[in-house]
Amino acid sequence: MKKLSLLVAVTLSAVVGQAMAQSLTYPTKNITVVIPKNPGGGTDTSARTLIEFTKSALPKGVMFVPENKPAGNGVAGLIEVAKSKPDGYKLVMTTVELAMFPHEGKSPVTYADFTPIVTPIADPCSLVVKADAPYKTLKEFLDAAKANPGKIKVGNSGVGAIYHLAALNMERKLGLKFNNVPYNEGIGPAIGALVGGHLDAVITTPGTAKSQVDAGALRILGVMDSQRFELFPDVPTFKEVLGQDLGLKMRAWAVLAAPAKLPQKIADELITAFGKTVNSPEYQAAMKKQGIMPIVMLGKNAEMMMKEDHETYKELIAEAKKK
Amino acid sequence: MNDIFAAASVVFSFNALLMIFVGTLAGVIIGALPGLTVNMGIALLMPLTFSFQGLTGILMLIGVYCGAIYGGSITAILINTPGTPASAATILDGYPLALRGEAGRALGLSTLSSTVGGIFGAICLVLVSPLLAKVAVGMSAPEYFSLAVFGISIITSVSSHSIIKGLMGGCIGLAIATVGLDPMTAGFRFTFDSVYLMGGISFVPVLVGLFAFSQGLISLEDNHRGSENRKVQVAIKRIFPTWADFKRVFPTQIRSAAIGTVIGAIPGTGGDIASYVSYTEAKRWSKHPEEFGHGSIEGVSAPEAGANAVAGGAMVPLLTLGIPGDGATAIMMGAFMVQGLSLGPLLFKEHPIEVNTIFIGLFVANILMGLIGFAGLRLSTRIMDVPPRILVPVVLTLCAVGAYSVNHTMIDVFVMMLAGTLGYILIKLDFSMSPIVIGIILGPMAETNLRRSLVMSEGDYSVFVTRPICLSFLIIAVVTLFLPIVGPKLWNWWKKRSGGPVLPENETQE
Repeated sequence: MKKLSLLVAVTLSAVVGQAMAQSLTYPTKNITVVIPKNPGGGTDTSARTLIEFTKSALPKGVMFVPENKPAGNGVAGLIEVAKSKPDGYKLVMTTVELAMFPHEGKSPVTYADFTPIVTPIADPCSLVVKADAPYKTLKEFLDAAKANPGKIKVGNSGVGAIYHLAALNMERKLGLKFNNVPYNEGIGPAIGALVGGHLDAVITTPGTAKSQVDAGALRILGVMDSQRFELFPDVPTFKEVLGQDLGLKMRAWAVLAAPAKLPQKIADELITAFGKTVNSPEYQAAMKKQGIMPIVMLGKNAEMMMKEDHETYKELIAEAKKK
Repeated sequence: MNDIFAAASVVFSFNALLMIFVGTLAGVIIGALPGLTVNMGIALLMPLTFSFQGLTGILMLIGVYCGAIYGGSITAILINTPGTPASAATILDGYPLALRGEAGRALGLSTLSSTVGGIFGAICLVLVSPLLAKVAVGMSAPEYFSLAVFGISIITSVSSHSIIKGLMGGCIGLAIATVGLDPMTAGFRFTFDSVYLMGGISFVPVLVGLFAFSQGLISLEDNHRGSENRKVQVAIKRIFPTWADFKRVFPTQIRSAAIGTVIGAIPGTGGDIASYVSYTEAKRWSKHPEEFGHGSIEGVSAPEAGANAVAGGAMVPLLTLGIPGDGATAIMMGAFMVQGLSLGPLLFKEHPIEVNTIFIGLFVANILMGLIGFAGLRLSTRIMDVPPRILVPVVLTLCAVGAYSVNHTMIDVFVMMLAGTLGYILIKLDFSMSPIVIGIILGPMAETNLRRSLVMSEGDYSVFVTRPICLSFLIIAVVTLFLPIVGPKLWNWWKKRSGGPVLPENETQE
């Protein structure tokens, strides 16, 4: 398996041009990148794309070796890297779950156990309904939800996962009550159920619903962010519709991180190298092709976001537990 | 029409054909190795597709997909170990056939059935995908629940020695499936504060352990006693199935392929479920149900045709809705997007050539799969000639490698060994493995959808009887579950009343 991945990596490195100059000087052996998710998902794709485009920054004979470790909902992979030596040879693609799992008793490690390097994605949550649903705007949806407490079926990707917490956040801040239906198989089947008319709404990132929205089968009513989402400039934010900021800001992010206490010099080198990648147009085009909105958020900024979300989810999950 | 010709010129170029061939061959090998699954094969080769122009890389993945589902049956038939979860049901009749010295016949039938199933699935994809997509999204949690219950209900029919032990095995399987996070409330169940158990017990290591490792242990024991347990003469008289065989299994193949296509089209279900459901249906419709479990040729054909039809079915929601039908297509979705193809309702309008290329590619991959299967048939049956003292260590090593490669963790290897030891004990106690596996595969699907239905209906149980599809599946399930138990008794009672011959009780236990 490892040999095969090496083989794949070698083949690929031959393909992608050596456009960028080598900017990582410390490695003398391969750098392992742990992906705590199954191959093929958004986290996996963005991690692989990211290291693919940063490959040329490495010295000759050294490469990034991606390893998928989805065991224990990915927590096993997080722990492994958090407990490893902070020498820059082991990195992990953390996800927004790192801000939730510690409060749910699912993870002994938190954001403080990592040194954030780069955030390739931070997509906002959005509210998606069927195109022929009776509510055409977010306002109408919220009114309908208010009038029928506990009746509107909202699909999410599992209890305690981000889309469920986003729904809870709406309930809490707007005084609503939904019938939350968890699809622990993932958001795909939930979107399928929405298309089939078995659900009234689904909370997900705009990118996942894009093909259905483009085809006119689904409609995005609003995004939970401070600004509109670039792929759907016509969709308003919750803040715009409500006329006030209720802290309905939920984003599904992934942060490439090293263990805590990483020497400053190594951290700087990694941040510079990956910073170059996320700013390059080729990388951004490749990400967009995969339906992911590339963003540029490095080092300290990434840490701030992780910390902010850690606090938000702490409150939210405590609230959810009371029920 | 122009689109079709343009697509054909893409598929029938030297490069594309070569890549489909390489992909299919790689798929067959990956599938045949226990523990290496379809999903893993596709995930491994996916990064390669980034470097190919156009759809060539995707055609290769389609080859891997088709090849791997079929490849699993080779090891299932020859060494009683499913290469992939989708071929666990093939063991039931494939291995008994091989033990009778008819490995060639079994492999020929499984190859033919796989090809027929795969092509049937592809035809459905081309002709009725919009309709199938509608059927798939039209089904909701209650239908999925009833489908899972229906699948589980077959445990009484696949228990080879005693129904009670079959039911117990099923419960063991269901119990294993409950470990991990509760699907509805995300509470911890039997996790004992272990991070590994939180994600549930990995299915592939358990499967490899139950079937392959336990079998290895039994062979070791036989070897130690000095009794060679497999003196099987393999004389392959012909590669292709006889016309008589073909005529007998053809209806089964088509029925199973139809089941497989529909199950493939349902998001979140795949070949493992399709093969078991196809097997049950084949048994229910067969004129010779008593042969099932003892080397029925329909029993080999049904799961293979069903599992391979899943490929075409799973492409339906992927292409028409942008929602993957199973794990393998979920990974493929990434490859499509890299090539700038946004899957979904607009795909057919915006990229007709690409869509046709995928259609034709799927046909070609299935035909190549058949050719590779038949061409390698003589070679693969030679495995039967390998003395156990050489074969068994190889299989045991492959078990460990396969279990490790799922999650890159040693814990899976230990889980595999534990499951293998459990399997060994259970085999000694005359349990069959299939009910356990059915429990593990279908348990989560049944549980999740039962509870999801109730969440959606706000606790109203009537959803299960007011929805026609759901109700009919449940009724069939009840019949399937109890027929092997009460059927013979009823039969005897009826015969006694009319003064006919009475079936001996012990025979009816089969």
